[in-house]
Amino acid sequence: MSDPKAGAKTYTYYPGCSSQASAIHLDKSLRAVAPKLGIALEEIEDWNCCGASVGHVEGGALPQTALSGRNLAKARQQGSHDVLTACAACYLNTHGVNEKIKQDVRTRARVNQALGAADLKYDGDLNVRHACEVLVNDVGLERIKGQVVNPLKGLKVAGYVGCQTVRPFAATQSGGEYDTYDQPEFLDNFAEACGAEAVAYDPKTSCCGGSVSVHSPDKTLHLIKQIVEAAVEAGADVIATPCPLCQQNVEMYQDAINKKFGTSFNLPVVFYSQLMAVAFGMDAKADAALDANMIAPVKLVELAKKAAG
Amino acid sequence: MSAAPAAASAASAGRRQYDLGFARWVYQHVEGGDKVAMCMQCGMCSGSCPIGTAMDHGPRKLFMMIRAGMKEAVLTSNTIWNCTQCYNCVVRCPRKVPVTAILQSLATVAVKEGYAPTQSTPKFSKAFWLSVARFGRTDERLVTALYYFSHGLKEGIRRALENLPIALRMIKAGRMHLGLPHRAKGAADLRAILAKAEDIERAERAGGKPS
Repeated sequence: MSDPKAGAKTYTYYPGCSSQASAIHLDKSLRAVAPKLGIALEEIEDWNCCGASVGHVEGGALPQTALSGRNLAKARQQGSHDVLTACAACYLNTHGVNEKIKQDVRTRARVNQALGAADLKYDGDLNVRHACEVLVNDVGLERIKGQVVNPLKGLKVAGYVGCQTVRPFAATQSGGEYDTYDQPEFLDNFAEACGAEAVAYDPKTSCCGGSVSVHSPDKTLHLIKQIVEAAVEAGADVIATPCPLCQQNVEMYQDAINKKFGTSFNLPVVFYSQLMAVAFGMDAKADAALDANMIAPVKLVELAKKAAG
Repeated sequence: MSAAPAAASAASAGRRQYDLGFARWVYQHVEGGDKVAMCMQCGMCSGSCPIGTAMDHGPRKLFMMIRAGMKEAVLTSNTIWNCTQCYNCVVRCPRKVPVTAILQSLATVAVKEGYAPTQSTPKFSKAFWLSVARFGRTDERLVTALYYFSHGLKEGIRRALENLPIALRMIKAGRMHLGLPHRAKGAADLRAILAKAEDIERAERAGGKPS
């Protein structure tokens, strides 16, 4: 910890749009476990959307870039803490734009010209970090283990990382060099630190189809099928993921996959932070937000009840 | 701007099939476009693509087509719409070609030039951007509804009914926002920033429109 006196390090938190709807359970559980891990989250005041993976098509490249520019300018007004986000798309855009503003004089000038329309400016002197990178590099597995009072004994977890949480930044210097692109280990390590068993799982960084799955699932259901199938074959009780869109796609399309391919999938998909909240002995609803999963993570709910009872 | 149906052949749309200035235009005006010249046609990108089999042409072939000046075929290919942005190709490319950024830029060009009137991604992006520019935030419920009904009333109703079970489960799980859209208080400021950014790009484009 960089601030041993206070025991907590402050980060400027960018929750992103999904935190208010489809990934409410990521936001809720992350905010719940953060203080136990020495993370103090200060939300960016009046943040806006990052543009996700589709904004540029209609909006254009510079307007899309300017979305992150405004968030970064707002974050900088609040201080020089590292910016933390838990959403893969928010991270991809915000980190990517931040690095471009740092390295490319022309981008910096153009973004600032646009920001000038609202009397904002940003010079690129913040760092934008993924929550998982912060957990690996700043918090560490020992501290996570140290908070576990309700080990997730017997819970078999398929760690599904997805794409943008690790690609294209996880192995770069600015991305904190916290894991690899193809065989990341951090998620399995989180699960095991919580006392669960991380099963061998091949499609760790396979693609769920991202936003293409949202608007044209007919093109991508076969991708999601492989992701669920491998977890079922590995005997997993749950799939755990860090990504809001992965969580949503892999969970909500299981019925459609069953219909199309004649399978009978009904496998819960949870966030790593929900595993942590249960393992830390916190409340199943108020902290772990287990009621927000469309497919109830039955075993995890039982483990949470055991701790409460 | 003549809007050619995406499926129509270049000849029937009355456009030139080859435009020898296209490669140079891409090198100069598409983000990362200069790196297309670096492509050595190894195929790592196409081989790494999770959705490559659903593409008209993999990225490798598309880059060769750019260099051959096949503007029509490039801008009407579904390659630019099917990219899921998994970044496999980007981290694996031995020549560090920013494949995803190039496909994104080409998508924006294709929309601006009227090449993609029937594609799903631009329809979805239009619905998405409406929410972002108006409220400063994505309202997933609003974006989904606008997208469904961008296909027409009948198709909109069909899609809405088809996905109703998912919607109901999302509501039950507390993951569909039901009140007025969340908004950034500074949405008006954001709109001013976006308008300025559009102005800047428009001025830049005036100096370098694809022929």
